[in-house]
Amino acid sequence: MAKLEAKNIVKYFEHDGQPLKALGGVDLVVEDGDFVCLVGPSGCGKSTFLRIAAGLQQPDGGQILLDNRPINSTGPDRILVFQEGALFPWLKVRDNVEFGLKIAGIPESERQEISNRYLEMMQLTKFANSYTYQLSTGMKQRIAIARALVMDPAVLLMDEPFAALDAQTRDLLLVEMQMIWQKTKKTIVFVTHNIPEAAILGNKVAVFTHRPSHIKKIISIDYKRPRLAEDEGLSKYQQEILSELRPEVKKVD
Amino acid sequence: MVNVTAKRIAFYVGIVLIWQALDAANLWADNVFPSPYEVGEDLWYGALDGTLWYGIGTSLWRLVAGLGIAIAGGIVLGIFMARVPTVNQTIGSIVLGLQSIPSVAWAPLAIVWFGLTDAGIIFVTVAGALFAVTINTYTGVKSINPDFIAAAQNMGARGTQLISRVLIPAAFPYMISGFKQGWAFAWRGVIGAELLFSFLGLGFLLNVGRQLNDVSQVIAMMLVIMLIGILIDGFIFKRLEDKVMSRWGLR
Repeated sequence: MAKLEAKNIVKYFEHDGQPLKALGGVDLVVEDGDFVCLVGPSGCGKSTFLRIAAGLQQPDGGQILLDNRPINSTGPDRILVFQEGALFPWLKVRDNVEFGLKIAGIPESERQEISNRYLEMMQLTKFANSYTYQLSTGMKQRIAIARALVMDPAVLLMDEPFAALDAQTRDLLLVEMQMIWQKTKKTIVFVTHNIPEAAILGNKVAVFTHRPSHIKKIISIDYKRPRLAEDEGLSKYQQEILSELRPEVKKVD
Repeated sequence: MVNVTAKRIAFYVGIVLIWQALDAANLWADNVFPSPYEVGEDLWYGALDGTLWYGIGTSLWRLVAGLGIAIAGGIVLGIFMARVPTVNQTIGSIVLGLQSIPSVAWAPLAIVWFGLTDAGIIFVTVAGALFAVTINTYTGVKSINPDFIAAAQNMGARGTQLISRVLIPAAFPYMISGFKQGWAFAWRGVIGAELLFSFLGLGFLLNVGRQLNDVSQVIAMMLVIMLIGILIDGFIFKRLEDKVMSRWGLR
């Protein structure tokens, strides 16, 4: 069943005062429980597409459907995890994680119960009373993921959340992310520019063309989990993604 | 730290000694240039008969009332300017101009509108502080990482919740600077208005000193005004600023 559907999404950027067609009609069907990674040449608008799916930007054409209903605004049914985390520095880790629950007016005892569960899942329990600026980038992204999961969104949208991490932390989080996906059965759309990352995480990898972009190919990755960075069996999938992506990256305008 | 304190004490003792020496040299008449002793005596009598405390209390209550209104109003105005383009294009264009009007210049208008009342003096105080708070709040809200606002909206925050849970805390380090500036303007506004209104308070006592040709009272009141300034700045605003800066991870 289609959970999230993008129909012919078109978006223009402003570039030197000229309109520049970034998304030239993106069609995508994300099934319930899918883990879809979006890869594409830089500047192709995959992050913009994710923000449109989150309802944080409006497309210039086309439609986003969630459970077959068109959506026009942002809301906690599609939570976006930002590249830089976008954690609130004036709040403790726990209060960051509980932010959306507080907005929803959930009573404190229930809020704590929920946040405790996800703080534990993300191994943040002992940092619950720290402020976020005291923690490493890796910890911050764990908090951002916990903050998204507490909302129990229908779709989790992730915008290159591991791009700023060092290699060891990234490898660790790649394994954890797979376990979270298996445990929560969330539908996830994950933007990355890192091909191995896409092959490790996604059960589908959608390749964007150069702009005005559309999705040229969806590659299914049938491979055991958890997948590790060093798994050699993934390399043929990486090759396949790369062979689709390479001609797009070479199109320079 | 000890070293700094020692330097400071030596500095102030030095000033008093030079002052005393200048007085002893008899370069000017006593009613023009009083000795530190005479000024101290004036403060002592003022403290004993209560006029000093009453003056301080009156000025401080006007300061608190005026600054309170200015802070509340400045936050609201600043947020609206930052979030509603039409407000910024209209009211925003005049705020910088209003900020350039010295607060005492509002006093004649305040006398006409409110008469020689507390309300008139508080009006001058508000006029002095309001725009500093407004401009800093505006800048603070404008400087918020757009991802903070997007994330909050994504998690369902709208309207007043967005304002109280994200915009104000995110802009708070800037707003503190606005409060600091606003307080300094407000204090000048209070004293200036009291000088012109001649209606109780430290500014009034200062003016009385001038009218009675009692220069030691004039200097005594100036010292009190300065001392209160140092205390409020150091004990309230400096601490608040330090606390906010470290809480927000900016220091």
